Amino acid sequence: MSMVAITVTIASYTTAIREMNTFFMGDILVVSKSQIVIQALPISGGNLIETIENDVKGTPGVKATVPLLFLFGTELRSALEVVPINITVGISPGNWTVLTGSTPLRSGGNWPSTNTVDEIIVGCCLADVYDITVNSTIKIKGHDLTVRGILETRSAILGRTIIIPLKTAQEIYHYPMTVSMIVVKPEEGVDVKEVADRIEGKLNDPIERIMALTSDERNSIIDPLLDEVNMWNLGISGVLFVTSVTIVTLVAMINVSERRRDFATLDALGASFTSKVLIVITEIGFIGLLGSLIGIFLGAIATVTIVSIYTNIPIQMLFPDIFTMISPLLLTKTVGCMVTASCVAGLIPAIVAARTSIADILRAEY
Amino acid sequence: MIVKTIELTRTYRRSSSNIVAVNKVNIEVKETTFVSVIGPSGSGKTTLLNLIGLNDHPTSGKILFMGKDVSHLTDGERRKLRLQNIGFIFQTFNLLPTLTALENVELPMALAGLKPKAQKERATKLLESVGLVHRLSHKPKELSAGEMQRVAIARALANDPEMIIADEPTGELDSKTAKETIALLFDINRKEKTTVIVATHDEKIVDVADTIYTIQDGKLRLES
Repeated sequence: MSMVAITVTIASYTTAIREMNTFFMGDILVVSKSQIVIQALPISGGNLIETIENDVKGTPGVKATVPLLFLFGTELRSALEVVPINITVGISPGNWTVLTGSTPLRSGGNWPSTNTVDEIIVGCCLADVYDITVNSTIKIKGHDLTVRGILETRSAILGRTIIIPLKTAQEIYHYPMTVSMIVVKPEEGVDVKEVADRIEGKLNDPIERIMALTSDERNSIIDPLLDEVNMWNLGISGVLFVTSVTIVTLVAMINVSERRRDFATLDALGASFTSKVLIVITEIGFIGLLGSLIGIFLGAIATVTIVSIYTNIPIQMLFPDIFTMISPLLLTKTVGCMVTASCVAGLIPAIVAARTSIADILRAEY
Repeated sequence: MIVKTIELTRTYRRSSSNIVAVNKVNIEVKETTFVSVIGPSGSGKTTLLNLIGLNDHPTSGKILFMGKDVSHLTDGERRKLRLQNIGFIFQTFNLLPTLTALENVELPMALAGLKPKAQKERATKLLESVGLVHRLSHKPKELSAGEMQRVAIARALANDPEMIIADEPTGELDSKTAKETIALLFDINRKEKTTVIVATHDEKIVDVADTIYTIQDGKLRLES
């Protein structure tokens, strides 16, 4: 159970991080040199002056630019938090889809008008947690903002995002003329890396102040981290696997030693060595099957609970996704793995059982 | 002669000393006879029956079973002989607790590869013959000691053996049930023409036996 829970939880972390990679795919992200970028999110570090967008826009190969201001919820409860409780993104109206892609709005909602200053979009997780409805008004730092739409998404990031017009976000959060990054859409057919190099060459002269990151570069930043997480996951799985095999072996040994008389009787009746081994292996394999099914069921509940706690996604939203998080393939693999491990673990007890002789038992009794 | 032993010896190593449980025993058991081996506890009765029943290997000497020297057979060959030719009855019944009376009787037939339907039919018939047709689906813990021993007798007869070896079959039974069990074994011996070898110190068994041996400190002696 713990094996499933832990490995799946870690897997969900890496999935959440990988999910970020789906944002701004193929685009160039221009960020401050001191900015820490995890996939598509500028996590912390310096911001950029908004006017830099004009310099970027004038670079050959650049089709369009969209400045964004990211503000992360400050109430982080734990270092293990996969994503913050909420993310506020300031984006110029009309460019919403740069961030949201094809994510639909909950029924009754609309995209805000292009010249709006007080209309916002809220992710479904936040809406559900705080009972926010379409056309309701919420107060952020003393400003009344109208919720025009609620993003209907299972994305852990978009689900807790508040999308605000850029100017309004700068004003509310006191970041005048400041952006966290500029999303650069390159022209079709151009070499994205070349465009990124051009932007860096242009803006880093004479002082190095920005990074222009392509998708590949963002991946290469995060890959070592993901590899390490996966390595830990593998290590934990390995330790738990060995532990479970040891426990199964011990339990099977106890079981067999308590039933020595039965195996001795089978010996006297003429049961073959193989049939006695198969009896024990089948029993242990069946226990392994039951154990793994129960483990997966409880592990899935544990996983959903853990993920819900860490990501702040309401638990009821995660339950329908249980088969996405714990895929049928993972289920099959886990059950197969546990049954095989149980059978292997039962081999020594099975041999011990098969070697039990009625003569030894009777001699010990009389 | 169904069983003949020549200078049969079995020693065990216990701590630093050798214990001679069966000492140069010569025994001859004719087909269809009822043989009783009597002796006090620790005299070597069980060891002798284990050797004759091919459950144990002799240290030295020979065992001839149905005219064939079986002293040096492999475990697999001995197992096959046991399965097809020898039925066992134990003092403590040795029924498998998780199986019903019917399943316990079916077990040797299943091991011998009999078809399930045939197993069930024969097992039912055997349990009927020992008066337990009403206990087919009962597990051992739901049966009395006498009933358990009767299930064990039915199980011993499952593969229609040439010989039944019973080790203290009445040791755990009250005198009335013991008497019924002896009568049942005697009946099987006479009607089925199955050789019965019983280790006991129950005088009622001695009374019905064709041949009586006594054993003391591993030495066997023909009494009558």
